[in-house]
Amino acid sequence: MTAIFPTPEWLEKLGEKLNADEQYARIAKNWEGDMLVVIEPGGPLKEQLLYYLDLWHGKCRRTAVLKDLSEAKPAFVLKATYDNIARIMKGELDPMQAMLTRKLQVQGSMAYMMRNVPTVLDFVRCCRDVTTNILS
Amino acid sequence: MQPILKVNLTTRETSPFTVPAEWERDYLGGASLAARLLYTSLTRDLDPFSPQSPLLFLTGPLTGSAGPAVGRFVVCGKSPATGLWAESNCGGFWGPELRFCGYDGVWITGRAEGPVYLSVTENRLEVRDAAHLWGLDTYEIQSKIKDELGQPRAHVMGIGPAGENGVLFANILCDHGRAAGRTGLGAVMGFKNLKAVAVQGRGKIPLFESEKYNMLRSAANHALKTDNLSRVLHELGTASGTDYFEYLGSMPKKYYHAGVFENAGKVSGATMAETILAGMSACHACVIACGRVVRLPEGTSEVSKDFGSLGERRKGPEYETLVGFGPNLLNDDLAAITRLGELCDRYGMDVISASNTIGLAFHLFEQGIISDKDTGGLALRWGDTGTVEQLIHLTARREGIGACLAEGSRRFGARFGAEDEAVQVNGLEVPYHDPRGVSGMALVYATSPRGACHNQSDYFFVDMGQADAELGLEFYERQGGAEKAANVARHQDWRTLCNSLVMCMLANVPAETVVGLINSACGLDWSVSDMLRAGERGWNLKRAINNRMGLTRANDKLPKALLEPYAEGGAAGYVPPLEEMLAAYYSARGWDPVTGRPSKEKLLDLGLDDVANDLWKL
Repeated sequence: MTAIFPTPEWLEKLGEKLNADEQYARIAKNWEGDMLVVIEPGGPLKEQLLYYLDLWHGKCRRTAVLKDLSEAKPAFVLKATYDNIARIMKGELDPMQAMLTRKLQVQGSMAYMMRNVPTVLDFVRCCRDVTTNILS
Repeated sequence: MQPILKVNLTTRETSPFTVPAEWERDYLGGASLAARLLYTSLTRDLDPFSPQSPLLFLTGPLTGSAGPAVGRFVVCGKSPATGLWAESNCGGFWGPELRFCGYDGVWITGRAEGPVYLSVTENRLEVRDAAHLWGLDTYEIQSKIKDELGQPRAHVMGIGPAGENGVLFANILCDHGRAAGRTGLGAVMGFKNLKAVAVQGRGKIPLFESEKYNMLRSAANHALKTDNLSRVLHELGTASGTDYFEYLGSMPKKYYHAGVFENAGKVSGATMAETILAGMSACHACVIACGRVVRLPEGTSEVSKDFGSLGERRKGPEYETLVGFGPNLLNDDLAAITRLGELCDRYGMDVISASNTIGLAFHLFEQGIISDKDTGGLALRWGDTGTVEQLIHLTARREGIGACLAEGSRRFGARFGAEDEAVQVNGLEVPYHDPRGVSGMALVYATSPRGACHNQSDYFFVDMGQADAELGLEFYERQGGAEKAANVARHQDWRTLCNSLVMCMLANVPAETVVGLINSACGLDWSVSDMLRAGERGWNLKRAINNRMGLTRANDKLPKALLEPYAEGGAAGYVPPLEEMLAAYYSARGWDPVTGRPSKEKLLDLGLDDVANDLWKL
């Protein structure tokens, strides 16, 4: 259940991980909200990536690689450069720090994000767990 | 800049004071310029409660210009709580309105024979009788004075009963709950029999290149509005970080003695937004609007039911109030916290020092160091908000145990042989950012010129990852040590500059933008490094003022509680290595490790020749 970040296969494995992980299911049991992760080009990434995840009550109902921002109207849009996303994936940058310090732009309710700090952090743990390697 | 209005309350003489051009250039305004102006008068022998004790209200070069979060002023003097440099800045609308009157500051000396208040307009200054206002709270004087002057648009800044009664952490408030909170200058104002200062003007703010400035400030405000931190502050207020701070272990609980408070989530900014929030409020021209407006539903807290109905819109708690009267006292009743905060505001008492000193009383009661014999029969039990309310009333009135609490935590602890238990530095109570979770705050608290203070440097944001390449601020592990000392010093310089503008620290304005604003407003040609150097100059000047008033290396310390590790929670097992950090800090600052003074070379390098001469007898 692992793959290279940020390949489409990685997104698929992440969906599987979120649905199988008991800790995530427990911590995120009240989470309601789909999200679109927008990874801006940089370093080895030449084109923008749009990764969609439908997260609901501790499960992932759907993942998809989108071609255009108009394909979804998610509750949250998280946007960052590849460099900053890679730093979060490597554990060099705390995701909450990234949100509060302009490194990770958030569209959607910041109140909900701040209220659900443990869920955000455990989601990122799952992201890290399914990553065998990070494209560099 | 515009003149400062000097007022001698003893003689009732008034005169405009023109700041020398070189001081205007080197210090800009706000706290740094106040330090320069007050340098000679703040001596070791000066009694803060004497007619000679100055009280200087000063704005900055951007105040009132509608720039990003710059609608502030500062009040400076000698603190009756610490005996050291005192400064405290305040938002609201009073600062801009003063500048609209054609003045950049009000410099008070002397002491009125009886209670008075000042009315400042573009045309005149009036010293008016305030005997009928004495005893009223800081909310009541707002409408009374405006009605009396026939100036509904006026802005009133004044003191409440705590300032009148000499509570050593009495503050000064304007516009219903905007506070110059710290260092007890409200008590100095009370000693001077000065109840309030009302301002109303229509003048224009002087800007060197107004067209350029307005373009820059418009762009800066637009950027600020879309900034993540601004959005968080707008949606959730300054208490937005509560959940995250709890995760980091940087939010104190049970008077800094518990690593975890399982009900912390009940009192967060997010909870406020989900339950009692009824709106937001902003200081002059601020696009963030971090102020909370709440409405308490019927059936909630019984605390302070003697003012206002529960359904009224009222000020909601900001972070320090929320933690001070919440987790700090193991209280999870958001409505009670709201009302306790308002009670302090109305009395005119700093919420940090009040809640901290009350926390100490609870702690000493639990330890058996004080008993109900000392408290007048009150049993101090964690989470009992009714008792907290009673202690606030007693403190503001200086009645019973309140007379001891009104002296602040250091003196309260000493009174019962437990000064070491007080969580304070140099007489100023520690705010609610625990250095065991964010270690940079260890240095900030130990070296701040006004005692433990988070407004001389909000380094906890840097410890959370807010590095800044433009300012040369790097990120170090939040529970690190001496490696971050130079970074802390640099951040203090940056915030000293902000305190001279006077710019709110909650605004995430890039350094290059700030330079552009300063240059176009003041006709300067500064770079970011010039800006940091001005900050460094201000920081060292305040240090020298404190050295002259008796501060030494031995004053740079932390209270015992902050050097004991938590057993659990996000900060468990760590204490900041303060001595190592201080050694590195002194080296980075160019300070003498024996005396604690800035070195002669450092002072001369910063152009502080007269100060070097005073400290080192050239």
